Amino acid sequence: MRTAELSTLTDPRLRAAGWDPTEPARLRRRARRLAVVGAVLIAWYVGWLLQPGRVGNGWLFALLVAAELFNVAQAAGFWWTCLHAGGRRPVRPLTTRPQVDVLVPVYDEPIRVVLSTIVAATRIRGARVHVTVCDDGDRDELRDLAGRLGVGYLRRPGSRGAKAGNLNHALRRTHAPFVAVFDCDHVPDPRFLEETLGHFRDPAVAFVQTPQYYANADRSDIAGAAWEQQALFFGPIARGKDGLDAMFCAGTNVVFRRTALEEVGGYPEDSVTEDFELSVRLHERRWRSVYVPQVLARGLGPEDTAGYVGQQDRWARGCIAAIRTTLRADLPWRLKAQYLLSSSFFLTGWTVLVYLSLPVIRLVTGHQPLAEVSADRFIVHFAPYFGMALLAVSVAGGNTYSFRAYAVMIASFWIHIRATIAALLGLGGGFTVTPKEGTGRRQPGAVAPGLLVVAVLLGVSVWALLGSRSPATLNNVAFAVLHITVLGRGVWPALRVPVEVAVEEPVRVPARAA
Amino acid sequence: MAQLTSALEERLGDHLGEQLLVAGGQGLAGAGNLAFTVVMARLLPPAGFATLAAFLSLYLLIHVPAASLSAGSALRPELARRGRRRALLIGGAVGLAMLAAAGPISAVTDLPLSLTLAAGAVPPVAGLLALERGRLYGRRRHARAVASLLAEPGVRLTVGVVAAVLVGAVGASVAVVVAGYAALAVAVTRDHAPAFERPRRATAGAGWTVLAFLLLAALQNQDVLLANGLLAPEAAARFAVLSTLGGIALFAVWHAPLVLMPRAAAGDRGALAPAVGLTAGIGTLVVAAVFAAAGPLIELGFGSRYVDVAALAGPYTLAMALLGVCRVLVADRLGDGRLAGTLVTVGAAVGLQAALIVALGDDVSGVVTATVTAVVGLTVVLAAVVSLRPTPIEPVARVRDRAARLWERRDVRLVTGLTVAALAVRLLVGRGLWLDEAITWFQASKPFGAMITNLRYADVHPPLYHAVAWGTVRVLGDSELALRLPSILAGTAIVPLLYVAGRDLYSRRAGLVSAALGTVAPLAVWYSQEARMYAFLMLFSLVAVWMQVRALRRGRALDWALFALASAALVWTQYFAALQVLVQQAAFAVVAWRRWRGGEPVGRLLAGWVLTAAAITAALVPVEPILRDQLIAYGNRSNAAAIVPGAGGAAGEGTGAAAGFGEATSVYRLLVNALWGLFGYHSAGVMTAIAALWPLGMLLALALLGRGPWTAATQLTLAAAVVPFVALFGLGFVKANLFEVRYVIGGLPLVLLLVGRFVGTSTRSDRVVVVVTAACVAVLAFAHVDQMTNRQNPRIYGFRSALTGVSQQADDGDVLVYAPSYLEPIVAYYAGDVRSQPLRPGETPEADGDVYVFGVDAFLEGEAVLDEALRALEDDRELEDRIGEENARVWRFGEATDVDARPAGRSAR
Repeated sequence: MRTAELSTLTDPRLRAAGWDPTEPARLRRRARRLAVVGAVLIAWYVGWLLQPGRVGNGWLFALLVAAELFNVAQAAGFWWTCLHAGGRRPVRPLTTRPQVDVLVPVYDEPIRVVLSTIVAATRIRGARVHVTVCDDGDRDELRDLAGRLGVGYLRRPGSRGAKAGNLNHALRRTHAPFVAVFDCDHVPDPRFLEETLGHFRDPAVAFVQTPQYYANADRSDIAGAAWEQQALFFGPIARGKDGLDAMFCAGTNVVFRRTALEEVGGYPEDSVTEDFELSVRLHERRWRSVYVPQVLARGLGPEDTAGYVGQQDRWARGCIAAIRTTLRADLPWRLKAQYLLSSSFFLTGWTVLVYLSLPVIRLVTGHQPLAEVSADRFIVHFAPYFGMALLAVSVAGGNTYSFRAYAVMIASFWIHIRATIAALLGLGGGFTVTPKEGTGRRQPGAVAPGLLVVAVLLGVSVWALLGSRSPATLNNVAFAVLHITVLGRGVWPALRVPVEVAVEEPVRVPARAA
Repeated sequence: MAQLTSALEERLGDHLGEQLLVAGGQGLAGAGNLAFTVVMARLLPPAGFATLAAFLSLYLLIHVPAASLSAGSALRPELARRGRRRALLIGGAVGLAMLAAAGPISAVTDLPLSLTLAAGAVPPVAGLLALERGRLYGRRRHARAVASLLAEPGVRLTVGVVAAVLVGAVGASVAVVVAGYAALAVAVTRDHAPAFERPRRATAGAGWTVLAFLLLAALQNQDVLLANGLLAPEAAARFAVLSTLGGIALFAVWHAPLVLMPRAAAGDRGALAPAVGLTAGIGTLVVAAVFAAAGPLIELGFGSRYVDVAALAGPYTLAMALLGVCRVLVADRLGDGRLAGTLVTVGAAVGLQAALIVALGDDVSGVVTATVTAVVGLTVVLAAVVSLRPTPIEPVARVRDRAARLWERRDVRLVTGLTVAALAVRLLVGRGLWLDEAITWFQASKPFGAMITNLRYADVHPPLYHAVAWGTVRVLGDSELALRLPSILAGTAIVPLLYVAGRDLYSRRAGLVSAALGTVAPLAVWYSQEARMYAFLMLFSLVAVWMQVRALRRGRALDWALFALASAALVWTQYFAALQVLVQQAAFAVVAWRRWRGGEPVGRLLAGWVLTAAAITAALVPVEPILRDQLIAYGNRSNAAAIVPGAGGAAGEGTGAAAGFGEATSVYRLLVNALWGLFGYHSAGVMTAIAALWPLGMLLALALLGRGPWTAATQLTLAAAVVPFVALFGLGFVKANLFEVRYVIGGLPLVLLLVGRFVGTSTRSDRVVVVVTAACVAVLAFAHVDQMTNRQNPRIYGFRSALTGVSQQADDGDVLVYAPSYLEPIVAYYAGDVRSQPLRPGETPEADGDVYVFGVDAFLEGEAVLDEALRALEDDRELEDRIGEENARVWRFGEATDVDARPAGRSAR
């Protein structure tokens, strides 16, 4: 039937994953040692910074200390999490073959993207699988495709609650004791249920989460950066959260116990990060979560900057809004701290703004946060902490997190700020679906705030150098150059025309699955 | 004679036979002429012999340039007839001119008028004789040519001896002229013999050929002429002795190119190898004899007053032997029709020699260095060109093909270019010797045993570098360039080694980037220009790490052997290098443990480790007693003034720059030393500015994110670079002056390797790598230029200008005093001809003439005594002049005068 058409499909999701989220015991031990040393170095730096004699301009000092304490808290939280990154042993698959509803929510994604997911879902082993396409886009073409592939198809009136509403609609019309959810761009592995259902032997387990792997990381700079950020989360952080029983649902590549979902009323429909809020509710009711560090589904990350910005914006808005939920939630302190660490991460943009502003303020006004401190005194206290933080990220993350990922994250600072303001002002935002394919064009508009800051830093630096080349000026210009370089690298993917990546041999997908 | 020729050619082959025949004839003729001179020395009274010697000099002056005509007629014998007429006309004209100017010539040369008139008969025969002998070679009349060669001493020894007995020096001189005519008579024959088959391609014109050989004659002789102009008479005479000795290496093979050229023109490729072989063989014998017995030869031939140039006789004779080979190669090129390139090459060598003599010709060793450099360069170029021609001789062809295949690789061309650039950068050294370098000279100038003794009881370094310096001084003399040459060469060798090691350990990109950075890395260049051991340290360090990685990867015996050798050489070069050796030994333990834990076999690794560790230990045993004595002597030296401060120390104290000698070790000192390592030495202001840019280091740290996991090679390289640095920093807390970047400079090429790896693997884009590398090279080059040219750089001392100024101005009664006392070597090097003494507390310098006071601002230890002496001298004498630059100053005080009569207002400080 469609064999000819499908044979030309070139889908990176059908390739084997090039990432292993498990952590060798050797690395785990090393990361733990680094965490211990890091804690000492944090104390060394903060103890030095907070001495009264350090205060230069009081306001600026307060801002700097706030930013540093926030980052120190994040770093300490990261190390604390890594300390609990145990090696979860694989469980035996269930001997029975329970029924599992596999839900694939779709909005407006291209059919060719959905096709691979549906076909792969029908091939999942280890259970009696009922695949259902949950179409929020009302496309007859998709309905026809589902019919041809022999899978269920659901369409609902309206689109209330976005993805959460769509899934809740499907939950009401399906009945299997377990529910697996895959975003339509995530191709499940046939072993998915074999590797996850065994964990439900524990009756307290509400859901089993698996990594969100971006198979298109090599297709664009921004996809690569996004993937490196994901790898850090689904590597040491997720493993550590699992060790603390604090893993939250990532919205896809997850399988739920239906009774747990029903107990909390399904997905919360009033949040753009419904998965995060759902996890809080489940944990409030003392359900447990499990993270399986195996790539059991391969998906697509944002391929251009606009897509990345949209994704980050949704996450930032959702997570910052979830801070209040978390603070109110009835959770054990460890879980509450973990949720707060994750949701408050998106306040990082404010600290970046502080760091970006300080050299500008110093060069323009002469005010600086610290009193005259010799470079060696500052370096000897700051550099070990800074270096250890980077080393810990490298080691714990298995060297997947690179400068590119860091730069793209820093260049997103304005998204965090905007999201915070929106959350404070109660300005809601709709659920936005992350585009699955790049536009193939330059997108300077998507990074305009970053470009503006680069221009300011550059202009101020040149202006300052024209006036003075004192060591203090040079030092602050060097800071400005540091920021310009990081921001420049972060916005760079938006300023270049994406390069077409050579695609491997076409993969043949049979017309009729199962 | 013809039978002899046939017999030789039959037994040895045509080519070698004819070359041996001519060389033998030339040798016999030389021996005959020498015998004539010796006999005359016995027969004639001293004044008469001097007259004859002067006449022989004039005779040679006419014949040597005329002899170049032989080359033209050997190549084109058919043109000899027309040439005869021209040579006769020109020779006659010159002869007539000499006759006309006999009076003035006689007055200038101090020759009797009769002999000046007799000399007028020489020019007509000189050109003709050269022409005819060349024609004989072109017509394969080698036996006749030899007969002509022998005719000359034959007539001298018969007619000349009789005439000398009868008429004295005049008779002997006339006989010399007659002998020339006799040689011509023998040489003139009819052209019965066939010429060689004409070449398929055009040969060079006879006139241009003559020009080429004239240029070669200039290369041989212009150093004597220039030395006469540049050097003091005594030094010029010493160089003349060397020139005469060197001439021996050329004499016997003088005609080899003439024999070769006709065959080369006929396309006979088999003729070159015997000609080169014979020339090189005879040259080697002469050079070996001179190296072995230069002193006795000079003493025997020229008298004991010239024995002090014996050390230079070997290299100079070697240069002349190579010049003999060059003449053969030039003949081959001309015979092959390669005129323009050959003329340009030889002309360039002549120009280079002249330029170098002017630049370096402050003393005899400078002139020798210039000639050796020019001739070696010419030999290399000619050999390369000849070996690369289309149809070379078989053994050369294989080498040529391999070289050509190598050259086709872009990397080889790039690295060759980088290496040449590195050599040029390292040769462009403007600063004079610094104190430590003068100590090198001071020690290397001693007999070997005395040098070792000095090292053992008055120094703190192992002897390997000093042994090399000792040999260098014996071979090349003690000019600044000669002293620094071992470091320059070692520092240049690092560049191609960086490429090879980088390619081997990481990738070709990493190798290229490392090599490019190594070309201009400021500190690497700085110490490649210093007559100390640090360039060796860098070289051995790089080889040791590279070989260790190879040994761990491949386990071949050669890798293990070179690793052990380099490790031992490291410690023989600098004791602190033991830190690196220990790190590398620890690395074996770590690797063995990892492999064992991973279930890999470790037997071979352990065997190699144990064997090399034993070998390194054994190699270090001889240095242990030296070290022990040095430590005892060091401990016994009661005050720090006996120890020469480090470069860093001098910088810090005089200028207020951080991290100076004797300062307490601090983190800032660690950072400053690290900055020195990366960006070289700069003024305090520049260093402060560089230090202010430390936030860019955060950028580097961020850029390293995700660059792991580091391979074992990277871990080893990093550890070998960083651990010794940190360890020395720790030692600095025990004794502050132990911590200086130069003591662990072996880590610098390792850092360059790591940077090369980082840049080379940072992106897939070649263009980005090129841009980043170019930016890095530009920054380093800028830093190097500032390091070399910024007069505020506290490490640039004006010793040379200050002390050579003293040397030029000082008279016999003057005295040079200096403080502190360890300035003695630098004073001796630049002002050794001036009476000098160290300043002692409480003493007022005394002298019949002027008193020169020499001091260095940065050395606090001499400050007090210097001030005291200056005050005392101001009371007694008048300050007449200041010489030198800010940090190395000389005050000249005139003779003692009436205090009241002196003008007021001038103060020394």
